[in-house]
Amino acid sequence: MNNRIREYRARFNLTQEDLARKVNVRRETIVFLEKNKYNPSLRLAFDIARVFESKIEDIFIFE
Amino acid sequence: MKKAVVVFVVAALVLITTGLWILSSAGKFTPFDLVTFGIIICVVGFAVFVGYKRLTSARRGEPAEDELSKRILQKTAAWAYYVSLYLWVAMLFIKDRVKLDTEELIGAGILGMAVSFAVCWLIFNFRGVRNE
Repeated sequence: MNNRIREYRARFNLTQEDLARKVNVRRETIVFLEKNKYNPSLRLAFDIARVFESKIEDIFIFE
Repeated sequence: MKKAVVVFVVAALVLITTGLWILSSAGKFTPFDLVTFGIIICVVGFAVFVGYKRLTSARRGEPAEDELSKRILQKTAAWAYYVSLYLWVAMLFIKDRVKLDTEELIGAGILGMAVSFAVCWLIFNFRGVRNE
């Protein structure tokens, strides 16, 4: 599964730390997500999509 | 914050116990004791590193543990368990070939378990965990 978190983060002018705080995870988790080393839970995926005011499928791309 | 403090408390307890062991040995150390002492220091160093990571997360206003760290811990525990099973079989094999006291054998086994846990944690922390 790929994702566009980095792209959305840049668009919303958020640092990894800001996003981590907003979705209540550690910064390392955002780093791992952006490097595609971790697939988030449905809950976290929804939380991230909510922060970026987008749909889950716009941010997470299942291949 | 509490979880970070717990790690430091456990590390301190291990160090205090090791200190007591050194004092009661009165300087009579075998090479095996020195290796054991070195491994204990490495394991305590690893615990302090984990505690420090949790503390910095807490200071940044992030949770000390989240879904990724819990997943890494679960995977680490599962792998370390399998490695430990094999380790004890290997220890029994070694016991028949190398002269070891029961104390030394159990001590080496426990330290081996701690080291296998630390190594598995480092691997999963570096490689990441994909739910696939």
